[in-house]
Amino acid sequence: MGPPSWLYYLFSVAMFAVAAYAVVLLVLSVTFKDSAGRDVDLAHLFMGLSMGGMFETRWAFWPSWFWEATFGILLVWFVTRSAESIYRFGLHIPHEAVHATMSLAMLLMYWFPMGSSPVSMGMSMSSSSHAMLDPGIGLILAFTFAGSAIFTLASPNKGASHHGTHLLRVPIRVVANGGTENERAGATASPTSAHRSWPGVTNVVANPRLEDLSHVVMCLGMAFMLVLML
Amino acid sequence: LAELDLAMTVTTEDANPSFRGPTKGGHRDAQRIFQLILASIWLLDAVLQLQPFMFTRGSNGFSGMLNGVAAGNPDLVFHTVTWNASVVYNHPILTNTLFALIQFVIGFGIAFKRTLRPALALSVVWSLGVWWFGEGAGGVFLGTATPFGGGPGGVLFYALLAVLLWPRKGSDRPFVAARFVGESAAKVIWAATWTLLSVLCVVGSGRQPQGLHDLVAGLDNGQPGWLAHIDRASESFFLAHGSVAAVLLGVVCVLAAFSVYASSTFTRFMIVAVVVTFAVIWIAVQNLGGILAGGATDPNSGPLVILLALTYWPVTADDPSRVGLRAARLVPTVR
Repeated sequence: MGPPSWLYYLFSVAMFAVAAYAVVLLVLSVTFKDSAGRDVDLAHLFMGLSMGGMFETRWAFWPSWFWEATFGILLVWFVTRSAESIYRFGLHIPHEAVHATMSLAMLLMYWFPMGSSPVSMGMSMSSSSHAMLDPGIGLILAFTFAGSAIFTLASPNKGASHHGTHLLRVPIRVVANGGTENERAGATASPTSAHRSWPGVTNVVANPRLEDLSHVVMCLGMAFMLVLML
Repeated sequence: LAELDLAMTVTTEDANPSFRGPTKGGHRDAQRIFQLILASIWLLDAVLQLQPFMFTRGSNGFSGMLNGVAAGNPDLVFHTVTWNASVVYNHPILTNTLFALIQFVIGFGIAFKRTLRPALALSVVWSLGVWWFGEGAGGVFLGTATPFGGGPGGVLFYALLAVLLWPRKGSDRPFVAARFVGESAAKVIWAATWTLLSVLCVVGSGRQPQGLHDLVAGLDNGQPGWLAHIDRASESFFLAHGSVAAVLLGVVCVLAAFSVYASSTFTRFMIVAVVVTFAVIWIAVQNLGGILAGGATDPNSGPLVILLALTYWPVTADDPSRVGLRAARLVPTVR
């Protein structure tokens, strides 16, 4: 007797749900011409689709090189955004760093496919080596994602998983200081873009709590996949 | 930018609406940070509980692991652990799913302020249950509960931390662990804990070179190369100097026990000493709880002891070195 198939099925469905939610947010962001958080939505879309296929091999699609290239690009993008955030706001851990770490984890999952686990078949298309991921790295990443999930849920700044805390706070400063801090801080978004303020859908689809929830689900899925790779 | 930084942080008011203490005005709530770190460990444990072998019957499965723990224990412990193992054996998927769910509930429960207290209470009950039914009372009755191996049971530290981190309005001074139970009680708990650890260092197989060697040797199967290399060094060291190492660790524990009654400088020194010591033990002896070999459900005592020690870091007014608070400058933005 092994692990129940419904467990992988459950995680797969959850990953595809995150991807579907990201698609909705992307469509709305294009519709309302609001680019805030679009990079995170895009990352969640690809990560959700990819991981959904890892957990349920029947739903895996597209070759490994495509996913490796995608997550490589996302990694470079988020590392750049992280550096930019540190340059603007001083030494801190920007939320983009977590997304960069998630992109790195996805890359590692493709570079180091698992051995005997049932979910390994989903990654058997990998063109890379058959070496195993050092479990120490897997454990560090899994704990990082567990921590990110917990701190996201506990944060008073809802939606920060998509938009960070700088942007969320900038509109308050705009009100308080007439916009000068906003410009000095380098935030280019309008006050309404910190939490997406889209007519009719803000409190339903683009709810910051839902955005955070999608991040938490993604973190859980990744942590579980990394534990399976140990 | 300083204001911006202030606005970014988890403030005391954010973390605990009832709090109206001296840190009002934007200081980080160190107790809340520690609670969330504890919740993160619970969440990792829940995910580890979902590993494939945990759903498997037989000697390589979860029930087999439990039966292995029972061997050699007194009748009461033996029968309760084997009863638990038989339930798990007969219903591996149901029981393991339930066990994982409970740990998810604890982890996520701590994350939400409204469910924080019930989650911490559940974690105490669950930890004590696991210690008895799952860890065979941590090997205390077998004489194998050396702190090198996680004695008297890593899971007990979850319960201890749940009590010490129980939410209560007030200051983080003189240290975070005193916030709920009070300074005197917290010091007694600390002294008792480290005195117990010091005793466990020098009783039973904990002071025998061969016993300590076997402790590491029993864990190195399936470990990654770098950790196996460390294990071999640890095994050789214990064979040659096991007794001395046990006594030295016992002395460190005794000094730690009484450090809370000494000056804050000495307390800080001892906290750094035990953090470093248990970090080394966690890697070189406990093998990170055996997680890397794919056969563990928790990280063992190392990180919990370190977390416990940090909750006793002396905090003075306007002390820029407040542990946890410096980390808190960074941690809340990790999302």
